[in-house]
Amino acid sequence: MGNALELQDVGRRFGALHAVKGVSLKVPPGQRHAILGPNGAGKTTLFNLVCGDFPPTSGQIIAFGEDLTRRPALHRARIGIGRTYQTSLLFTGLSVLDNLLVAIRGARKGRFSMLPSGAGGEDVTRARELAERVRLAHRADAEVATLSHGQRRQLELGMALACQPRLLMLDEPAAGLSPAERPELNQMLKDLPRDITLILIEHDMDVALPISDMVTVMKDGEIVVQETPDKITSNPVVNRIYLGQGHG
Amino acid sequence: MNLARTLLRAGGIGLAILVLAPLALRAMLPENQALFWIGNIFARALIYGIIALSLTFLATYGGFVSLAQMMVAGVAGYVLAITVQGAVPVIIGGFGYPVAILLALGAAVLAGLAVGAISARTNDIYLLMITLALAVGFYRFVETNIDWFNGYEGIRNVLGPDLLGRKFRDPILFYAIASATALSLYLGVIFLVRTPFGLALQGIRDNPRRVSALGYNVMLHRIVAFGIAGFIAGCGGVLATIYNIGISPGSIGLGATMNLLIISVIGGLGHPIGAFIGALLFAIFDTFAASIYDRDRFNTLIGAVFLSIVLISPDGALGMVRRLREGFARKPRAGAPPL
Repeated sequence: MGNALELQDVGRRFGALHAVKGVSLKVPPGQRHAILGPNGAGKTTLFNLVCGDFPPTSGQIIAFGEDLTRRPALHRARIGIGRTYQTSLLFTGLSVLDNLLVAIRGARKGRFSMLPSGAGGEDVTRARELAERVRLAHRADAEVATLSHGQRRQLELGMALACQPRLLMLDEPAAGLSPAERPELNQMLKDLPRDITLILIEHDMDVALPISDMVTVMKDGEIVVQETPDKITSNPVVNRIYLGQGHG
Repeated sequence: MNLARTLLRAGGIGLAILVLAPLALRAMLPENQALFWIGNIFARALIYGIIALSLTFLATYGGFVSLAQMMVAGVAGYVLAITVQGAVPVIIGGFGYPVAILLALGAAVLAGLAVGAISARTNDIYLLMITLALAVGFYRFVETNIDWFNGYEGIRNVLGPDLLGRKFRDPILFYAIASATALSLYLGVIFLVRTPFGLALQGIRDNPRRVSALGYNVMLHRIVAFGIAGFIAGCGGVLATIYNIGISPGSIGLGATMNLLIISVIGGLGHPIGAFIGALLFAIFDTFAASIYDRDRFNTLIGAVFLSIVLISPDGALGMVRRLREGFARKPRAGAPPL
């Protein structure tokens, strides 16, 4: 079986800024892959390239054997790529349940349906299950604008899971969470089934390393190290550029 | 079940108001005055309200403030006047009202889809500008084209079909048809926004990037929403053309376009009912401007009302009512112990 995601020499320029430079990466199915790096390393740009927010200026993006390089963002969700964002992008005027319903219907037919699904409908049942899974069942009917930051991050994850992803990309899922909220997120990530390939950007090593099988470190738009989690913290290059230790 | 309850409640209240208002007027006023209110104020408010509903639907649930909705209503009105038998001058003619009305509504949907497609990549001020440009462009086109639109004079004698042995323009019959149309469209909007299409449309309003990442074709969704708004505006355009016994460029010009925006803002863009509240206020001021101050000062009066409402309550009369209700709800009852 091929890789869940394969990047071949992917690059992206914004005018004079070379945000991502010749990144090549292979993520096999089921792997938990963390992408680390200091601010400005190009991690989120790389995510946006994979998710089709804008096309790369060079290279190829292949997921599940399909070349996605020039395909629009909406196609990614339809082949099973779900993502979350660094700052929550939710539908604040809708309820938690409606957010999940929009997410559930996005990746399959019936998006244009002008017939409502009743309270006991299949979609609504799934949305309630998802709300339960991301521990938001008690706020299912609340408007998103009234949720706390941590609950919004949980809903972000629920929406990414709603399209039944084969590849889940999480952009700093722990960003802004209090220390009390982090263990809950950790548990949710650990509970994800193994048939979902997971790629996450995370600054918090305590969140990223325990769940990762492989870690990629980026700096200035390039991959500088790729190691297993047990070796990454002792890697001198990583210590120098990311952990701020051992200069020279 | 929630949707069914909401529809029943909204429909019940709407139907009650629409049926009770003329009955109450006939009970309270002499017949000629009651008919004046029904025919000149309520019927006109319903027509304006239907066209404004198309704008409110787009603005409230999609976040698109389109200034081309009066133009779309005008497309329906002109297609009806051009195709229907009996209109003067005869441009195509020959079609009975049922067919001409269907053609008019079809043309309005197409015009809505075209506006949606042309403006699909724009938002905010750019969307306003492009839809305003389309509205003014269409106005100038019909005004200067004699062969197809009879230029400045427009097309007259669009009387509407006879129904149940009565003339379509009979005040009571017209009011009944306009109110049934308004109620159906209003309930249709309330229903639509709870469907997968409607929820995705609200998602686009809040965050189009996320909607796209979830697998939706945002542009296509927008265009379809404009097509639906086109149908709503088209219904208003057909009724307006029959009500005015014809159509001329003046009824779809810049003034009419601005009036529609004023109606929507006065009523409140937060809920579809705002379109009808704004239209009723507008029709009352339009009718009684001469009594209040001076007929020629209607624009000054409605401008003052517009500014007052925008300053006092940016979400229109509807927001004002809601705030008053919340204020009353918060007020402790007499005798209640202090907190």
